[in-house]
Amino acid sequence: MKWIKQMATDWIVDLGGATLFAWESVGTGLRRGVRLSNLVDQMYQVGVKSLPTTITAGAFVGAILAIQLNVQLRDYGAQAVLGGLATSTTIRNIGPVLIAFMLSGKVGAYTAAELGSMRVTEQMDAVRCLGANPIEFIVVPRLLAVILSSFCLLVIGLMVGIAGGIVISHLVLSINAIEYVQKIPRYVSLWSVGTGMVKSFVFGIVIGVICCYRGYTASGGAAGVGRAVRQAAVEILVLIIVLDFTLSSLSEFLHAFLRVGQL
Amino acid sequence: MIEAVGSFAIQSARSVWEFVELGLSTARAFWRQLFKRRFRWNETVHQTYDIAVLSLPVMVFSLTFVSLMFTIEFSFHMKLVLGQDSLVPAFSTVFMLREFGPVVTCFLLTSRVGAAIAAEVATMKVTDQIDALKILAIDPIEYLAVPRWIACVFACVSISLVSVGIAILGGALIASLKLGYSTGQYFNSMFTFTRFVDFQECFLKAFVFGSLIPIAALYHGFRARYGAEGVGEATTRAVVSGFLLIFIADFLLTYLLYRV
Repeated sequence: MKWIKQMATDWIVDLGGATLFAWESVGTGLRRGVRLSNLVDQMYQVGVKSLPTTITAGAFVGAILAIQLNVQLRDYGAQAVLGGLATSTTIRNIGPVLIAFMLSGKVGAYTAAELGSMRVTEQMDAVRCLGANPIEFIVVPRLLAVILSSFCLLVIGLMVGIAGGIVISHLVLSINAIEYVQKIPRYVSLWSVGTGMVKSFVFGIVIGVICCYRGYTASGGAAGVGRAVRQAAVEILVLIIVLDFTLSSLSEFLHAFLRVGQL
Repeated sequence: MIEAVGSFAIQSARSVWEFVELGLSTARAFWRQLFKRRFRWNETVHQTYDIAVLSLPVMVFSLTFVSLMFTIEFSFHMKLVLGQDSLVPAFSTVFMLREFGPVVTCFLLTSRVGAAIAAEVATMKVTDQIDALKILAIDPIEYLAVPRWIACVFACVSISLVSVGIAILGGALIASLKLGYSTGQYFNSMFTFTRFVDFQECFLKAFVFGSLIPIAALYHGFRARYGAEGVGEATTRAVVSGFLLIFIADFLLTYLLYRV
């Protein structure tokens, strides 16, 4: 029983710590602003450098989904609707989740490692000794850059995923690309695209807050940096899964509640 | 430009070869241990406990949410595309078995286990413990790699099977609570399409991903640069390359098993 109590306590402490940390960062960012050159530099570091990985992941996600869904529609004899089904699945739930998993490593773990090594080599304390606030100069630009670039990367990854589905169904599944594309607007509604975008944005926030919190609170030398990265990666993944379920249910509830119909 | 492309190609070819070499030497060390009766039982059991048993709570928690989300979304899509959702149990179970069960399980294990292995081995490398092992005439691959490899393959395969169980139960739960099926209808519909081949595919995928994860982690752990940055960098790279390898292996396996 003791370990359950311990786990629950740790969990509550981390939840509170992460919330306070996010609150403080947002407050500092709003009060002091963010220097644009700093932000652009960080966006290049975490965003542009992750582009090849994200595109690879997106293309593979689209291709895998097209093949797997074709296996099922083949049994049912409805391969003609593959374009609509594969694209809708890619945009609405599986695409954002799988590409966000990739980004949790490429962007999240990278930032956690960077902030963690700054912390354990006492660079944060050095910044504080110079009379500057480390949250303002180190954390806020990274947090903002991670959130913005995760969102952009997810959108790019989803678009590449759609293209991957088209290519693979034309080449491997012998479904004409034009026929495939024609099915997309019929089955993919604006509401589905909106759901995918909202999910991408929320996943970006999750990645940014968790990795900055874990990196900022790292302690204990080289082993501590490894621990921080590990915890950040696992927590981001679990939160993404839980939030994906929550957002899916919420989207369906709102769709029925607002009676948006064919939107 | 040409120089840059060429050096990039040579670099990547070399690292791919080093990766394959590490995998092969791990397999050879495993073989040698098995036949010369020097199998490291203690270490293997310890690692299996660390890797498989201790990750079980997190895995069960997240896989439950995956299965609930998945059944709801599939019902939405089936209604959208086919106009009815009577085959949702069959479709979602087959999809979960063939694709999502092993992939999500192994992603979670990459970020939990792969990162842990990379961080541990990189810390050992940075604090010169690996050189100390070599001085004591202990082969680091035999001592570090083989037990972790066995434990990780075991964890991936067994937790993938657990994930399938959770997927079926969670799907039945949400289908009877939210989508208006009875549990009997759910299982009836499930067995119309689910075949033994799907189980085999799940098993095979979990085995392949499970052997890729520790090799990627050890590869980056053994190559860690010195200092705290090195450990962080090695851990990040282990997670990213594990994810990418799983994506690529998943695509290849899906493509090869598509006709089955």
